[in-house]
Amino acid sequence: MEAITITLDGVEVGGHPGMTILDLARESGVDIPSLCHDPLLTPIGACRICLVEDERSGRLLASCVTPIESGMVINTQSPKVQERRKTIIKLILASHPDTCLVCDKGNQCELRKIASDMGVGLVGLQKIPLKATIEEVNPFIERDLSKCILCAKCIRADHEIVVQGAIDYIERGFASKPATLNDSPLENSDCTFCGACVAICPTGALMEKKLVYRGTTLTNVSTICPFCGCGCSINLEVKDNQIVRARPGKEGVVSRGALCVKGSYGYDFVHSPERLTSPLVKVNGDFEAVSWDEALAKVASELKRIKETQGPNSLALLGSSKCTNEENYLLQRLARGVLGTNNIDNASRLYSAPSIVGLGSTVGFPGTTNSLNALEQSEVIMVIGANLTSSAPAVGYAVKRAARYKGAKLLLIDPQQTNLSSFAHLWLRPGVGTDLALVNGMARVIVTEGLLDEEFVTRKTDNYEVWSKELEKYTPGYVEEVTGVPGDDVVRTARLFAEANLASIVYGDGITQHLTGTDTVIALANLAMLTGNVGLGGGIFALQRDCNGLGACDMGALPDLLPGYQSVGNPQAIKTFADRWDTDLPSDGGLTAIEMIDHAIEGKVKGMYIVGENPVLSFPNQSLIKEALTSLDFLVVQDMFLTETAKLANVVLPAASFAEKEGTFTNFEGRIQRVCKVIEPIGDSLPDWEIIVQLANSMGNPMPYSSLQQVKEEIQELVPLYQDTGYMDPEAKDMHRGELEKAPLRSRRLYKGQFPSGFGRFSPVQYEPQEETPKDGYPLTLLTGSVLYHSGTGSRSSRSPRLSEFSPESYLEIGEPDATQFGISEGDEVRVVSPTGEVTAVAKFTDVLPEGMLFMPLSFPSTPINQLFGIALDPRAKTPALKACAVKLERIQPRG
Amino acid sequence: MDKVQQVPKPDLKQIEGIIASCKDQKWPLIPLLQRIQEEVGYIPPETINPIARAFGLFPSQVQGVITFYEQFYTTPRGRKVVRVCRGTACHVRGGKTILKLVKQNLGLEEGETSPDLEYTLETVACIGVCALAPNIVIGKETHGNMNPKKVSQLLGDKKGSG
Ligand code: SF4
Ligand code: SF4
Ligand code: SF4
Ligand code: FES
Ligand code: FES
Repeated sequence: MEAITITLDGVEVGGHPGMTILDLARESGVDIPSLCHDPLLTPIGACRICLVEDERSGRLLASCVTPIESGMVINTQSPKVQERRKTIIKLILASHPDTCLVCDKGNQCELRKIASDMGVGLVGLQKIPLKATIEEVNPFIERDLSKCILCAKCIRADHEIVVQGAIDYIERGFASKPATLNDSPLENSDCTFCGACVAICPTGALMEKKLVYRGTTLTNVSTICPFCGCGCSINLEVKDNQIVRARPGKEGVVSRGALCVKGSYGYDFVHSPERLTSPLVKVNGDFEAVSWDEALAKVASELKRIKETQGPNSLALLGSSKCTNEENYLLQRLARGVLGTNNIDNASRLYSAPSIVGLGSTVGFPGTTNSLNALEQSEVIMVIGANLTSSAPAVGYAVKRAARYKGAKLLLIDPQQTNLSSFAHLWLRPGVGTDLALVNGMARVIVTEGLLDEEFVTRKTDNYEVWSKELEKYTPGYVEEVTGVPGDDVVRTARLFAEANLASIVYGDGITQHLTGTDTVIALANLAMLTGNVGLGGGIFALQRDCNGLGACDMGALPDLLPGYQSVGNPQAIKTFADRWDTDLPSDGGLTAIEMIDHAIEGKVKGMYIVGENPVLSFPNQSLIKEALTSLDFLVVQDMFLTETAKLANVVLPAASFAEKEGTFTNFEGRIQRVCKVIEPIGDSLPDWEIIVQLANSMGNPMPYSSLQQVKEEIQELVPLYQDTGYMDPEAKDMHRGELEKAPLRSRRLYKGQFPSGFGRFSPVQYEPQEETPKDGYPLTLLTGSVLYHSGTGSRSSRSPRLSEFSPESYLEIGEPDATQFGISEGDEVRVVSPTGEVTAVAKFTDVLPEGMLFMPLSFPSTPINQLFGIALDPRAKTPALKACAVKLERIQPRG
Repeated sequence: MDKVQQVPKPDLKQIEGIIASCKDQKWPLIPLLQRIQEEVGYIPPETINPIARAFGLFPSQVQGVITFYEQFYTTPRGRKVVRVCRGTACHVRGGKTILKLVKQNLGLEEGETSPDLEYTLETVACIGVCALAPNIVIGKETHGNMNPKKVSQLLGDKKGSG
């Protein structure tokens, strides 16, 4: 590209074509005020405060919308410019309300900042608010549109970044303002409370509600959101060891100017009065607060005793998909090197183990194969088994941006209607648990119509012949019969997917939490390989429910795999770790999460150490889990709260929150991101990694680390996936595991065009009818899933004052026809009964579900829906089926 | 406002038909809104969602366009729109009294529509025939030199007609 040179305030500066004067000025460190401009939004040139003078013509130009031209001579501070800017600010202030003087935006207000920079005083303010504050009962956002300067930033953020469309201008002229449909309060609109508009509003018109502190904050730390696997960067503002505000991180590659409601408002669980502040030991059935020394001594001696008397495999550890990479690494070292067992797993077993197994056995890479940015550039995006709006909001924003503004065709496969439905080019609604037949059917269409990427298949994959023969029975007619999706739609979807140059697949719990999860993941990988969408553009995007689900697996918190997915059956790998740790290591495979429970019931596992997980709520069959955990000789739980699981423990160790520690999280893409300490630990709580190191000490097997840095050095040395990623570089902002060219082949990301093992492998997988479908006496199918306002089992989100105020209790979503049939009215209390158990919830009518299908959210501790599920495991990934079950309904009583 | 709520529900089938027939045009939104208004008499808020869905817009955007143009109405309008001039000339020559009489005769306040959808009452600024002041416009016809007698001739006592 030709460089363009202009003269800016007397200095020659160079930019590239397409840059605006404002872009170039900012790049060159010249300050020009702006109100309606934001680099993330389409420029509109509305406020004119960014005026500069073109010295040759004497014209005033709005710098944010004027492209640079060769030879321009621009003056950003001429008297004419200053004069005009002052007039504009005065004009804006003249229609501003006098409440400006006591506005909570205070020093954060860009309007006031510009006014004071230009020496314009707050005079001539209006006595009467022009538009009254809108009464809103939601606990997140407050609007006072009398302070609105009509910059349209909120509207553009809502349309262009999060693509929600909750607000737009209403009316014109003097009455004009940003408003929801019918000008209703936000809680009655399409608003998801993502907070993008609040973060971008330059004035006090849009504000966080319930701010604990409103002044300027001194500490301002960028870290990673602790909730879902998207891994948004959040900027936390701190005052007196209290987090007072969260904003989308400016440099976040994932967040890009927006978070979701959890990221923006859910951090307040950190300051919940329910936080554990000292170690607890159970004495005669009651917890007593004790010192760290006492608690650790007790844990160390009990674990040692069990190990010595019953053998190391009578111990089992559960790591956390919400703890950092370093913490999971240390925990598996404790399990293997100190306790001598491979009985270690983490809670991502519950939803993403099928990805690790399924993708590992086909593309040879255990996870998402490309970046979020590449997803947004795709021509066709197939979303299957994932309600992105609630389970991966940031991915949802990217998919919607692609569909609305970049011409991508969205192929949505979901029985439920979701926020994505209105963006879909084609929307298929297969029956629950039939996705595998549908995906195989698509593959068959592509094979028989010759739409495959032959060169890719020939050069980069093997086993195609064997596999394609096994597809024969999946004719459109058969697929229609099994899935209920019209055969024609199967054909159209397959063609669209195959004909695109860049096609991507996004999938989530709706695939992995079925009994056939691993097989369906394999079918999706087959489809991606068949069309040449692995290893270059497009890709497979496996979502993660928790902030570090992928990282916990990368770090070897798995019973059969050492850090970096090196098998415990591989003597060479075992030797590397044994030498480094200077100890013998067990090489027999360990127990997966649910197997630990079985073994506890059988009396083979006697002691458990559970870090940051809540199996009583997250595992299927609550009563069995409780029975197993109470039958243990010794249970230690390390958590921030006294969860349902912690209540059963002999010792509870208080853990610090994400905001109180350092480390890294690896998001669903494989992006390694730095978690930074924002405040001091609450009470006597300690970061999980420190507790693990101290525990090893108390056990007489000290780990040789005096800092977290040394742990990272060891990871960098022993985990190929994390080498050459900039993982150790404190300045690196955007680390991608194994992304760089020089990374060893086996860890290299797939989009470099190379499969880690040289070839991708097609594997035949067959559809089998599932248990989950309705049966005698249980005529309805209940789907479970996440809701936007909560996370996981809700142990954190239910303790977030704002999230729990807005979304306080569970509910049963039911379509009106089904409700009528069971004599249920909206608001009735209903008993939901499965062959295994029952829960009660309040009925809420919806029109998003097909007939015969119900929905309940996962995350409410007071309504443990895992009670409804028996234990049934995916045969390969050992993931329990937790997505759907057959139920019947009984009306208890009308509400009230 | 409550008068409007007694109005029968708009025929969504009819509206779906209009939407479908406009779908292939290049910039269909404004012509579509005009057609709906012509055929239904106003733009029922219920149409916002189907329109948004059909054209890949957000409902809030459709509302934004509707409320931007003064020519679009989101509440039902009477078959006859009565506009009383409140321009200076008309005002000076008794326009205010005429407005009062029209209100009495129709039983409507400014901006209201009769429940039978026969009349809507509005006021306008000068309509340019000041020589004949005071003026009122009924439908497309202008009536000049208004006096109380002419008001009752033209509008009779229409109260309670619904
Ligand atoms: S509410 Fe804020 S962001 Fe939105 S138009 Fe008004 S001033 Fe701009
Ligand atoms: S909070 Fe988010 S969804 Fe709601 S109006 Fe603002 S940008 Fe739109
Ligand atoms: S919960 Fe997920 S989408 Fe929401 S802010 Fe956090 S990382 Fe981003
Ligand atoms: S910042 Fe340039 S016109 Fe508003
Ligand atoms: S003032 Fe009424 S017509 Fe001119």
